[in-house]
Amino acid sequence: MAMMNFFEYAGRPFVGILEEFGRVMLLFLSAAVWAFRPPFRLRQVFKQMEAVGVNSLPVVLITAVSSGMVLALQSYYGFRMFGGESLVGATVALSMTREIGPVFTALMVTGRAGSAMAAEIGTMRVKEQIDALYAMSVNPVQFLVMPRVLAGMVTLPVLTVVSDFIGIVGGYFVGGQLLGINSGVFMARIYEMLDLNDIFNGLIKAVCFGLILSVVSCYKGFYTTGGAEGVGRAATQAVVISTVSIFISDFFLTAVMF
Amino acid sequence: MIRLAGVTKSFGSQRVLNALDLEIPSEEITVILGRSGSGKSVILKHIIGLMTPDSGKIYINDKDITRLNERELNEVRKQFGMLFQDAALFDSMTVGENVAFPLVEHTRLPKKEIQRIVEEKLRQVGLPGVAEKMPSELSGGMRKRAGLARAIALDPKIILFDEPITGLDPIMSDAIDDLIVNTQRQTRATCVVISHDIASTFKIAHNIAMLYEGQIIEFGSPEAIRNSSHPFIRQFIKREAPGWNAGP
Amino acid sequence: MTKLTVEAKVGVFVVMGIVILGYMAMKVGKLSLMREKGYDVEVFFDSVSGLAPDVPVEIAGVEVGRVRDISLVDGMARVVLRIKPGVKIKKDAKAVIRTRGILGDKYITLGKGSPSAPDIKPGQRLWRTEPAMDLDALMGTLQDVAADIKSLSSSLTGVLGGAEGKATLKAIFNNFKEMVQTLNNTVQKNRDNIDVIVANLTDFSKTLKELGGVNVKDIQKIIENLSQASDRLGTVMEGMNRIVSRVNAGKGNIGRLLNEEEAIDNLNAALASLREISEKINQGQGTIGKLVNEEETAEKINTALTGINDYLQKQETFRTYVDYRGEYLFEHEWAKSYFTLRIQPKEDKYYLFQVVDDPAGKEKVTRIRREVDGQIVEEERVELEDELKFSAQIAKRYYNLGLRGGFFESTGGVAIDYYLLDDRLTFSLEAFDFDWEDNPHLKFIANFSPIHHIYLTAGYDDFINDEGQESFFLGAGIQFADEDIKTLITNVPIPTH
Repeated sequence: MAMMNFFEYAGRPFVGILEEFGRVMLLFLSAAVWAFRPPFRLRQVFKQMEAVGVNSLPVVLITAVSSGMVLALQSYYGFRMFGGESLVGATVALSMTREIGPVFTALMVTGRAGSAMAAEIGTMRVKEQIDALYAMSVNPVQFLVMPRVLAGMVTLPVLTVVSDFIGIVGGYFVGGQLLGINSGVFMARIYEMLDLNDIFNGLIKAVCFGLILSVVSCYKGFYTTGGAEGVGRAATQAVVISTVSIFISDFFLTAVMF
Repeated sequence: MIRLAGVTKSFGSQRVLNALDLEIPSEEITVILGRSGSGKSVILKHIIGLMTPDSGKIYINDKDITRLNERELNEVRKQFGMLFQDAALFDSMTVGENVAFPLVEHTRLPKKEIQRIVEEKLRQVGLPGVAEKMPSELSGGMRKRAGLARAIALDPKIILFDEPITGLDPIMSDAIDDLIVNTQRQTRATCVVISHDIASTFKIAHNIAMLYEGQIIEFGSPEAIRNSSHPFIRQFIKREAPGWNAGP
Repeated sequence: MTKLTVEAKVGVFVVMGIVILGYMAMKVGKLSLMREKGYDVEVFFDSVSGLAPDVPVEIAGVEVGRVRDISLVDGMARVVLRIKPGVKIKKDAKAVIRTRGILGDKYITLGKGSPSAPDIKPGQRLWRTEPAMDLDALMGTLQDVAADIKSLSSSLTGVLGGAEGKATLKAIFNNFKEMVQTLNNTVQKNRDNIDVIVANLTDFSKTLKELGGVNVKDIQKIIENLSQASDRLGTVMEGMNRIVSRVNAGKGNIGRLLNEEEAIDNLNAALASLREISEKINQGQGTIGKLVNEEETAEKINTALTGINDYLQKQETFRTYVDYRGEYLFEHEWAKSYFTLRIQPKEDKYYLFQVVDDPAGKEKVTRIRREVDGQIVEEERVELEDELKFSAQIAKRYYNLGLRGGFFESTGGVAIDYYLLDDRLTFSLEAFDFDWEDNPHLKFIANFSPIHHIYLTAGYDDFINDEGQESFFLGAGIQFADEDIKTLITNVPIPTH
């Protein structure tokens, strides 16, 4: 009996995670179904695209430009040891488009918009506003979740493109202007090493991350319980779970694509 | 007409509704009275289909809503207006947009017409000219009124009130009571009010349903309830805690 | 300034993303829309292995341009250099591909050329090049050399190594020893003779010495003679000089030919008249000139050709298009759909028949009568209802401009269309529903067809409406011409028994 108890205790969290994963998938599926049913709620989608995309732009820009600059600086010290300074540009460009662009953008958006999504929907849940939506014959998944998921999937690649570009510009500034790497060689190396596929695969990642962070955040908000405290907990958990999921999925996406 | 037949609902091991039967007459105000946490709100949520019973049936105009799919249920819900406990106004919209919400969702009225209806409904609940304000700028009583304006925007046949006066000062409570009575008189709607306030209940009710331990123990006119011999009802009306009387 | 709407902000945001993506894709995809300023110079190399576009071009270590393009022409690598404006390059400057750093970044360096050489003109070719110091080639050569050395030494080993080789070597040494011994013997035997020879030699050198002492004077004479000869040579040279200078002065036949100014004038005149003729031709004078220059002629030929084409294609110009499109109106959150039949008897004229499904086409007024506080109140409720509307228009086109008139959505109206990008992009402004009381219904439409048969549509509907009916819309459409339909129909599999 004691043995059974031990296994039960060990297995419970695992089963819990699986259960939760299943519920997240269900929410996503119902959001996907509602995306194709009228009314299409473009106004809501646009509102969320503004909240997730446009409003995240400044923080994404700052992150991108500083990571591009740091990347250039750090790789320069490494490459200089064997005279490969000209590879700095390519290193920055490849890292930005393949990894840093999509991942950092997703993390910043999670912190900014994901937590807001969870808090907003969570507040609506504890203040009976979701019940009110049902009572007024409006499906809350379509009204609240679908626009956010769609906005996440559309705006993340856009933000990532901007982030890629700004990161490379930052690297160019540091490498070409401050460290004195020939800017022609710097750019030539980028064009030589960077493939269009690097950019596009990065964008596919971004779409996946946008999906993950918005579904997870909406899920956490949608099933909030326990008043104002619960809303806070939902927001925190949304960020933590989204972040971890983004990193895990990043590994698998990278393994599949590159 | 609303009829609940043998409705049972449990949360975990706790049975909140226990084979409850209740028939709510049309075009009158029925108050469901009971202690806090006795499951009054649960009844309301069953009536509008936000919860489904473990067993039993709920008839709205002789249609069992427990067997409907979501689309059919939405059609039924369009006859309802519901005022939630904290009004449940959408924080991201202005009061006007909140009141307009059901109209925008379920009618194809032109903008001007919607605006006109919103103004009219807000005037009806005594809140003219607040359409541009955000819900957070309103006091509790004003929010309730705005919530009522939203609930009646589609001129529903049935209006549900979840604890309409909880958390309001006596003067505001009285004003809301008047509003409920006036609204019912104007719209001839069937009103179901959840309350635990005796004075308010006797003021507005045509019928009172007394909820106790998951069942309706008495249903009747305010007069009948006042003269009831049931010990719990007597206690409730006299506002006596069990311990005070039952002492040695 | 008015505040941007949510849609506008998101629109700008998305467009920005697409523009940046396009820019990066273009750059990475080795395309370039924008050219840098300056002029082009071409160079041909046997190999440009490792050279990438956009790497620097240097003179004396200073960047004077970039490699703009690399292509293969007749087995040679043609490299186009984009030189910064104001940088002068001598025509005989040498172009060399150099390598920097151990990773082998290639760049091009140009020599300074000879000072007297003219500057190169844009588009010209630099002829002098030096093959790239190709590391691979160098390694290859080194390998070849190493292989040669190896084979040489291995054959040597074959000859000298082993027991056989040893024996041979021994034999050689033995032979050598023998030879030396024989030589020794010979010298021993003839010792006296050798002594005599040496003594003779000594005598001979002594005689020679004496002889030299006697003939010193003679030698001096010879030298004198030589000097005289060279003097005479000087005179001959002088004569030559005189002849040349006479030629220069135009004396003698050759001189005349080369120096006569008249002759040069003649030549010049001949050239001038030649130029005059060609100019005349250019200006369209004379028969040939007319033929070549007169636009009318060209046009006549064109019309003749078009006429023939017209005749041949008469059957083809009559076209029918079937078109379906949907528009989503943001303000009202509903969609309008259009089914259109366009009959086009001529290229510049068509008739259009259209059925429009407008979900808010008709106002339905219902009267509700009810009792409030004992009084009977009558209320009017206006609801919008689905309605089918019809359009029938006649359209005429002048170059890029089209005009339409007729019925628009069951009311009278006119429209103006502007066609761009081979008709793939059109802008239209429609005005209809003229009324004494309200503003007319104005609609601005932009259609863009990224691929055949499909087009996207966007615009602003009813934008001077004073009842808040104005709305942006977005939609898509699909269009088929009659032959497409034919193809479609013939290609659709028909179930057979």
